[in-house]
Amino acid sequence: MKAPESDHQLFERLRAGQEEAFVALYRRRQPALYRFALQMGGSPAVAEDVTQEVFLALLRDSCGYEPERGTLVAYLFGIARKLLLRQFERRRLDVALDVDGDFGGIREPADLSDPLADLAERERIEALRRAVGSLPRRYREVVVLCDLEELDYAEAAAALGCPIGTVRSRLHRARLLLAEKLRDERRGGAPVTDWKAARCLA
Amino acid sequence: MNCEEYWNNVGALPAERLAAHLAECRSCAARWAAEGSVVAGLRLLGADEKDVSAPPRLEARLLRAYREQYGRRVSRTAGAHRWWAAAAAVLLAAAGLWTGAWPSAAPARGVSGAAVLAGMEESQGAFIPLPNAAGVTDDDELDLVRVELPRSAMTALGLAAGDENLAGSVEAEVLVGPDGMARAVRFLN
Repeated sequence: MKAPESDHQLFERLRAGQEEAFVALYRRRQPALYRFALQMGGSPAVAEDVTQEVFLALLRDSCGYEPERGTLVAYLFGIARKLLLRQFERRRLDVALDVDGDFGGIREPADLSDPLADLAERERIEALRRAVGSLPRRYREVVVLCDLEELDYAEAAAALGCPIGTVRSRLHRARLLLAEKLRDERRGGAPVTDWKAARCLA
Repeated sequence: MNCEEYWNNVGALPAERLAAHLAECRSCAARWAAEGSVVAGLRLLGADEKDVSAPPRLEARLLRAYREQYGRRVSRTAGAHRWWAAAAAVLLAAAGLWTGAWPSAAPARGVSGAAVLAGMEESQGAFIPLPNAAGVTDDDELDLVRVELPRSAMTALGLAAGDENLAGSVEAEVLVGPDGMARAVRFLN
C-alpha cells in the first residue's frame, strides 16, 4: 500500500500549483489548528480567522517555512500562536496571562487524591474542558498541543519557540494545576492556594 | 535522584530510573498517579473534540485565494475528482426532478447571491436552480465547477437536448455549496 504523502511533499506540490495538494494539506491539518485556535482564542470567529490566516500565510511567496528548522505542522501551529498573541495584544483578552504562577521549583498540592475520581466519563470531560479553559495561557497552550492534539515535545517546542525541557516542565505544571482546579471544583469552588513545599526523603 | 531531579527530568530519563524513584517516594508516586489521571482525562477530552473543525466555507474561501495566487493552475487529477463529485450531485438532482421527488423549481434568488459569479450569469445564460438552492442566501459562498454530463441530464431538467444522440455528453457548469451539494447548473453547449 502506498504511504500517505508527507506534509512537506504536499507543501512542495501546492507551491507548484497543484490544488489537490493544498486541499489535502488543508483537510489534514485544519481541524487541529482550528481547535487550537478555539481553545486559545475562546471563540469560533477568532478560530476561523486564525485558521484562515495560517493557510494564507502558507501561500505567500516568502512564507518562512524552513524544513530544516522543524516540521510543517510545528510551523503551522507557530503561525497560529503568533496570530493569537497578536489578537490578545489587540483585544487584551488574555486576562489569565499574568496569572502565571511560576511555582519556583518543586511543590506539591496538599491533596494528592485522584482529581477525577467518582466522576462519570461525561462529567470528567466537561470538568476538564472548563479547567483547561481556565488555565493561564502558557500552560493552556502546552496542554492543548501535547495532550489534546498529541504533538510530540519537539514539535510543540518548535511551535512555541522554546526548548523541549520547557515544554516538559510546563506540561507537568499544567497538569498539576488542572488536578488542583478539578479538586477545587469537587470541593465546591473555593480557590485552592494550599501549596506546600515538597518534602521528600528519597 | 531527589524529587526535583525527578520532576525536571520526567520523560527524559530512562523509565527504570524514574520508576526507582517512585518506588522510594510515596509523595511523588501519589503525584504521578494524580497526573496520570489528568492525562487520561485529557485524552478523553481530546477524543471528544476530534470532530470539531473549521466550517466548510473556510475551505471554499481558501481555495479561491489559492486559485488567485497560483493562477488556476489546477491539476488534472483535482479537476477530475471535483468534476465527478459535481457530476454525481447534478445527476442525483436531475434524477430527483425527473421522478418528481422534488419541487420542479427552487427560488433563484439565493443562487444569484454568489456575487463572484453574477457577471458570468448574465453573460452566459441563467443557472437552473436545483432543489438544494432553496436555502442559499446572499452570504453563501459557492464554487463553480465545470463538468461533462450525459445529454439525457438536460431532458431530465426539462430542457431540449437537441437532435444529437441522447447518449452523448454535454458540458455544464455547476454551482457547488460549501457542503459539497450542487445548487444550480447551466449547460454550455
